[in-house]
Amino acid sequence: MQNRLLQNRALLLLLLAPSAVATALIALVPVLLLVRMSLSEVSRFGRIGAYVGWENFARLAEDPLLPAILLRTGIWTGSVVAGTMLIALPTALILNERFLGRGLAQFLVLAPWAISVASMAVVWRHALTDEGGLLNRLAVAAGLLDRPIPWLGSVPLSFGFEILIAILVSVPFSTVILLAGLSSIPADIYDAARLDGARAVDRLKFLTLPLLRPFIWIVLIFNIAYVTNSFPIIWILTQGGPANGTDILVTYLYKLAFTFGRLDEAAALSILLLCGLAALTVLMLRTLEHPAHA
Amino acid sequence: MTRLAKIFLILSFGLLPLGSVGAWAADLRFTAGEYSGFTRPFLERVARDYEALHPGTRIQIEVIPWDSYLQKLTTDISSGDQPDLSIVPTMWISDLAADGLLEPLDGLATAEFKAKFIPAFLVPATVKGQLLGFPAAASARAMVVNTELLQKAGAPAPKTWADLATAAKAVAALPNTYGFGLPGKEVEVDTYFYYALWGFGGEIIKDGKSGLASPEAIRAATFYMSLINDKATEPAPTAHSREDIFRLFKEGRIGIIFTYPMLVPQLKTEAPNLKYAVMPFPVETRPVTLGVTDVLAMSSSSKNKQAAWDFLQFLYSDKYRAEFDRAEGLLPVTASEAASSYYKDNPDIAAFAAGLAYARFFPTIKGWPEISDITVRALQTMYLGQKTPTEAMTDAARQIDEVLARR
Repeated sequence: MQNRLLQNRALLLLLLAPSAVATALIALVPVLLLVRMSLSEVSRFGRIGAYVGWENFARLAEDPLLPAILLRTGIWTGSVVAGTMLIALPTALILNERFLGRGLAQFLVLAPWAISVASMAVVWRHALTDEGGLLNRLAVAAGLLDRPIPWLGSVPLSFGFEILIAILVSVPFSTVILLAGLSSIPADIYDAARLDGARAVDRLKFLTLPLLRPFIWIVLIFNIAYVTNSFPIIWILTQGGPANGTDILVTYLYKLAFTFGRLDEAAALSILLLCGLAALTVLMLRTLEHPAHA
Repeated sequence: MTRLAKIFLILSFGLLPLGSVGAWAADLRFTAGEYSGFTRPFLERVARDYEALHPGTRIQIEVIPWDSYLQKLTTDISSGDQPDLSIVPTMWISDLAADGLLEPLDGLATAEFKAKFIPAFLVPATVKGQLLGFPAAASARAMVVNTELLQKAGAPAPKTWADLATAAKAVAALPNTYGFGLPGKEVEVDTYFYYALWGFGGEIIKDGKSGLASPEAIRAATFYMSLINDKATEPAPTAHSREDIFRLFKEGRIGIIFTYPMLVPQLKTEAPNLKYAVMPFPVETRPVTLGVTDVLAMSSSSKNKQAAWDFLQFLYSDKYRAEFDRAEGLLPVTASEAASSYYKDNPDIAAFAAGLAYARFFPTIKGWPEISDITVRALQTMYLGQKTPTEAMTDAARQIDEVLARR
């Protein structure tokens, strides 16, 4: 028996080995390289030079653009994740009910998931151009506007549209997770609640939402990581412009690395971003596993 | 169990050395920026022609959009996979050379081969007395006007910057048209400013300091700003990239633009009915234009330098060179091509080629992309009305001086 257990453990370890090796190669090696780059002087074409300690981090701290970009990243992630949740949760609740055309509705909500974010952004860029843009042509034809508006010409408008598009892109994935969560809730507890005289609002508040809680957290964790690191929408629509007004950390990171050729500082910034996101994720996972009121 | 374990081990480690299968006598990798849709098929054809003559050599052509070329090259180099030959913008040469990534070509090139080129074009690729590349493309900028719109507006073709303002305002007064196309988004926002800066007698960098706080620079910035305020440009320049401006020009909606020669073949095919004229930039103190060159350079880590050199010479044969320059709308880099009547008889091409005599170049200094980005940001805040020209320019100059002091 003892022997059998040991053998099983050896087998388990062996079975894990390939994926562990692959993970180490794919995830760990680049991170270690990144750490090395962030502590060294790196030339524009990636040659790693002398060890400079924390100098790259110190230079980031002095970067006059970073505070505003950090704040904007917070606004970006916060509003996209909140907006996604506000749309995905009711959508999932509705799609979980039986009604005529539910299949079609599910398909329509989930279909955008199949389209790559980059192509979605390209389509929106065309829709939002001021001259031949779809939005302007529709609005002018409908008499809502006298003249086309250059939607992507000013910071508030373009950033607002970028947030809206990001929400639109995030909704399908979040809805799927929440729908999966809803289908895992057994139907008989609702019957029992109904017999006890619980109204629809009560059933939502005391049954659905608490039971859906782990899934809501998963959606939040995934979305925060995805949205913070989301590059294509902002890059394709405005490249972080005008005047860095729509830059978030990842777009600025790209500029640092590939426009300015400051690969060392870019490495330092990505380490910070990685640590920040990792800390947030761990914190959220802990809250998920050990709820405060449990 | 042991058999199963063995299979997994073989699967997980056995896949690693798959990379180096089927090496040829000489494998060459060649990267280039995408000048137009013609670039890739052309280079592929030259490579196949060469392979037919040299059966031992295999050439892999990679044509990359300019926007992502630097990223691609950086990734290649940092992973130890620098292409054997690449066509790169001249402004990358000093950084590449500083890392020792380029092979000096003086030893390989005969005097006869060097004599093929217009001598001035060999200068940008010479670093510390070493020749690190050959000119692969040359271009200069010029002004293009929609003659029909100017005529309708009763404005003569602008000869000075003041004429340009008058003509732009007159064209803008026509229904549904804009006077002057001013890109304020994405690539080359700063380049459009340098045209005016140089035109008014200013410099990007003077005596190691930024020239943006000079009276000439502030005059140039004020000039563009007053065009915007007078509604002589398209509305909201920050919403329009250079390509958006070119599209509007092709649609006959803009009176005056500044452009590169590659636009001319596009106008011919995409807007055959457009009446236009190519002319030099407006002149205030001196004639100006921007000259841009790209360089064909060899990797110092190439394993097949002799084959790479051989292919490089093949690519510079007169037949291919003429075809490439003409199809891409580029200006000649070889003496024989420059002597061709093609660059003198065609008025469109001649107007661009004439600028080569007085063309100015971007400074080849470290930190240039940052300086360019600071300038773009200053211009965009000014175009958005967040700063006055004087504020925007003096702030930018201060930041640029910091960059210059750091490098």
